Amino acid sequence: MPDVNITVDGKKLAVPAGTLLIEACKSVGIEVPSFCYYPGLSLQGACRMCLVKIEKMPKLQTACTTVVTEGMVVSTEIDEVRQARKAMLELLLANHPLDCPVCDAGGECELQDMTFSYGAAESKLIDIKNHKDEQQWSPVVYFDRPRCIMCYRCVRICGEGMDVWALGTANRGSAQLIMPNHSDYLECEECGMCIDICPVGALTSGAYRYKTRPWEMKHVGTVCTHCADGCKTTLGVRRSPTGMQIVRGDNRDKSGINGDFLCIKGRYAFDFASHDHRIQQPLIRREGRHVPASYDQAYEHIALRLKEIREQHGGHAIGVIGSTRTSNEESYLLQKFARLLLGTNNIDHHRTADFPSFAGALARKKDATASMRDVFNAPAILLIGNDPTEQHPLLAWQIRNNVRLHRARLYVVNSSPIKLRRQAASFTQIPAGSEPQLAAFLAGDDSAANALASGEITREALAALRDKLRGEPNLIIIFGSELRGSSIDSLVRFGAAISGAKFVCLGDYANSRGAADMGLYPDLLPGYVPVGSGARFHEEWGAPVPTEPGMNLLQMVDAAKAGRLKALYIVGANPVARYNLDPFALSKTFIVAHDMFLTETALLAEVILPAANAYEKSGTFTNTCGDLQLLKKAGDITTVKSDFEMLLRVADRLGFDLRQLVPFRQAERADLGQSRGAQSGEADRHAIWLEAHGLEPKLSPFDPIAMLDEIQRLVPGYDVSRVELLAGNDQHTSIEAGVASSIASQPELILPANDTLFTSGTLGRYSRTLNSVIENPRRAPADKADREVVV
Amino acid sequence: MAVIKDIAAIAKGMSITLKEMFSPTVVENYPDGPGPLKGAKFQERFRGVHVLQRDENGLEKCVACFLCAAACPSNCIYIEAAENTTEQRISGAERYAQVYNIDYNRCIFCGYCVEACPTDAITHGHGFEIASLNATSLVYRKEQMLAPLPAHLGSNAVFNQAETETGTPAVRS
Amino acid sequence: MPLSAEERREIEAEFPRYPTRRAVCIDAMKIVQRHRGWISDESLEDIAQLLEMSLDELDGVATFYNLLFRKPVGRHVVLLCDSVSCWIMGYDRLRERLCSKLGARLGETTADGRFTLLPIVCLGACDHAPAMMVDEDLHRDLDPEKAEQALENYK
Repeated sequence: MPDVNITVDGKKLAVPAGTLLIEACKSVGIEVPSFCYYPGLSLQGACRMCLVKIEKMPKLQTACTTVVTEGMVVSTEIDEVRQARKAMLELLLANHPLDCPVCDAGGECELQDMTFSYGAAESKLIDIKNHKDEQQWSPVVYFDRPRCIMCYRCVRICGEGMDVWALGTANRGSAQLIMPNHSDYLECEECGMCIDICPVGALTSGAYRYKTRPWEMKHVGTVCTHCADGCKTTLGVRRSPTGMQIVRGDNRDKSGINGDFLCIKGRYAFDFASHDHRIQQPLIRREGRHVPASYDQAYEHIALRLKEIREQHGGHAIGVIGSTRTSNEESYLLQKFARLLLGTNNIDHHRTADFPSFAGALARKKDATASMRDVFNAPAILLIGNDPTEQHPLLAWQIRNNVRLHRARLYVVNSSPIKLRRQAASFTQIPAGSEPQLAAFLAGDDSAANALASGEITREALAALRDKLRGEPNLIIIFGSELRGSSIDSLVRFGAAISGAKFVCLGDYANSRGAADMGLYPDLLPGYVPVGSGARFHEEWGAPVPTEPGMNLLQMVDAAKAGRLKALYIVGANPVARYNLDPFALSKTFIVAHDMFLTETALLAEVILPAANAYEKSGTFTNTCGDLQLLKKAGDITTVKSDFEMLLRVADRLGFDLRQLVPFRQAERADLGQSRGAQSGEADRHAIWLEAHGLEPKLSPFDPIAMLDEIQRLVPGYDVSRVELLAGNDQHTSIEAGVASSIASQPELILPANDTLFTSGTLGRYSRTLNSVIENPRRAPADKADREVVV
Repeated sequence: MAVIKDIAAIAKGMSITLKEMFSPTVVENYPDGPGPLKGAKFQERFRGVHVLQRDENGLEKCVACFLCAAACPSNCIYIEAAENTTEQRISGAERYAQVYNIDYNRCIFCGYCVEACPTDAITHGHGFEIASLNATSLVYRKEQMLAPLPAHLGSNAVFNQAETETGTPAVRS
Repeated sequence: MPLSAEERREIEAEFPRYPTRRAVCIDAMKIVQRHRGWISDESLEDIAQLLEMSLDELDGVATFYNLLFRKPVGRHVVLLCDSVSCWIMGYDRLRERLCSKLGARLGETTADGRFTLLPIVCLGACDHAPAMMVDEDLHRDLDPEKAEQALENYK
């Protein structure tokens, strides 16, 4: 469309036709104040703050609902407009109490800011303000009616954005109010978007209630540690007797992949970090009881036992279980620790998706994975399996708003009527467990339709769907853990026929994808390189990597039962609860656990090291789409340490040269290969890489960024812009298994987490907020949940 | 000539001395003077140790808005807020300061906190004898700064159920 | 009580006249109100479901319009204008008389369920103030006696 020329305050500008006047003004730095206007939501025109003078129009016009037209001449800074703004504020303040000192929005309230800018703090009105008592709508939502300025932002974000429609308005005029979907309480997704978007303090958060004030906190933008979508959450932290306490989560700068979005977990479920049952010092089991010990004693104990077992029984008598919630650096270090130091490939983690098959199927395909941002912009999306509304709330948000704002076509195939069908152009319900047949059918195997067709879903309908999908260029294909192994191959074959098709494979935990990419597999090295063909890593790491695949998680447990596995090193995982293991199977094994709580698994450990969680350390996370993001340390408990540090300390005690694990303070000067040649084996490849990327060698082994250097250098697909990463932006990594196209990854070991919006593995059990909302079907009163875990 | 000049100068000087000898003394006899102030005298505007005021009902005026802490140039005010309940009513508004500390090691008595206070809860008193050999004792807690209960309320000043039940004020003044 | 077949049929008959189902909401509520006198929570839920709207949104519309009743009303609804012109021309006296005659305050229904007395903003009859409306009939240039008399015709 051709641009439209308009004049605002004497400035001439050309903006695309169809632009709203308020946005046009913003584009040249002229701020038009508004409350009800919010980008991405429907237009309301309720607050009348954005009134501007448009020439040849008899009255002031609302800039938020006026579309620019050719030759429009606009004034925003004349007395008439200023007078109108002041008058609007005076009316908004007619019933708004001036209780800013006790209001939780004080200091970040738009009405406060506007009143400062435009005056009207002194009112001409003499009537007494209409007071109504504050209401609590849910454990996390409080509503203070007189503070409400009826901008409808909450109503719209809840309905249009979240598709929950839990908020509405009642009555009109001065009696108008926001009401919840039940007479005096809310039943919704408890996402708290209404609180975040409220320009005043009408909706405030129960979790942050009266805790502190915005200027008293430090705000740290980091990545949520719950589901695998990788939302950026800004944590407000404050000094506390034990370090830094997280008092609030929100997305105040809206710069992450999640934009405006955060779900209940990202916003409120940081409270596990300050749970009373947090382990705060190392514990060693003596005479059947866990007694506190110093770090030195714990490291010494672990090193002694591991050395003994390694010498007597060899490395294959030791197993290692990694976490889906530790950083990439920690996962990478852990597998290096297992392979180089312990000399074993017995390493595994809780698998929630078949990333190895996915990598194998996409071998040698460029740009075949979609980022989370792509999902918001794609013209068409095919969703097979999973229920993103519950398990991938951000993905659901991206899909929903893509459909709403960009009119994307959504095709849903699922075994149950998931909520996203409401946005779908086509919804196909197939029998449970028949997703693999669907993949085969899409790939061209017509006989597979027999298993799918039932009732309304005829073979013709399926064929029509397939034809339609084939005609959707730039389709994004998203699938859950229902599809594994060869089914992913079929799906990728189907996608190959569509130009620009991209894929997303859905894993369940915050760094499930990272754990897979970093090679927490008994048969795969980082970047899905089979252990048998790990010559490159052998060369780079300067030590032999065992070439025989090790035992997977369940095999390790069996071996432990049979007495063949003597030691198990578990970092941030709870396999006993997750796989419902018999605790006695592990009774003969020496177990070390890094954990935050005395979980079912930690209880079996001989030594427990108190671990920091993802909110308390730096590093990187990879979300399920492959978007790499930086973790920043927000909270702090002075007596706990990161898994990274503790692993290195143990390695040090085992007498291992830390330089082999973490590249730090190596060559003083990078030899760029001119003298001896990069192939000679003498050149320090790491130093060359650092030099080429303009990076400094790191000074300390405990700096996880040193490990990130190596990851970026060695793991295929991770060579993304460091500057962007450090700036807090998401960087899409590609899953390019340039190596083997057939990867044996044992898809039968995949165990989906099946979390809902209100559960989050072990972490969720320790979040009081998640356990207090009525929508959580598995909720338990706080003390009951605590007791269950401790016994 | 010079001698006369010298004598004149001495005479002039001594005349002032003699005059002052018979006028009342202006030196404050602190700390040996009479009264509770031990001879110290203050201008009304003197900025001494803070006093946290109460309203006419004896409830605390402070609502823990943190504005004093924000205004403080030496960062010496520490506050923790809490919510009033019907059983436990401490201040007149929804919230009150559960913890209110001023670190007098750092306070520079500039009065910005008093300026900032939207409820006139914090004021400067005339307390000045706070010197101590122990720095930790210079962190004053709310209880040390709170104004006494208004005299007219006397022993009937009961603000919440907790007091009624235990017979003692929830926060001692 | 769920929507009767007739109500449903009447509402569905409106669908072709509008681009979306939700656009029918006011008509749908008027239809239900015509049949039942008022709109209960249950009927609101049924209508919301039929129109594929959220309950809150529909309730927002229902409470916005003051001729849609969300509480039971009497057989006849008396709407008494309390806007400026009528107020100047003797609304107060009118209200006092009606209240005492009916034994009901503004917003209440008489004990026999015959009348519900409601205030309303401007009936558009300022030139013949004070005015009131009973069901669909406008009564103008009233005084207390006339108003009392007018109510006699509604049984």
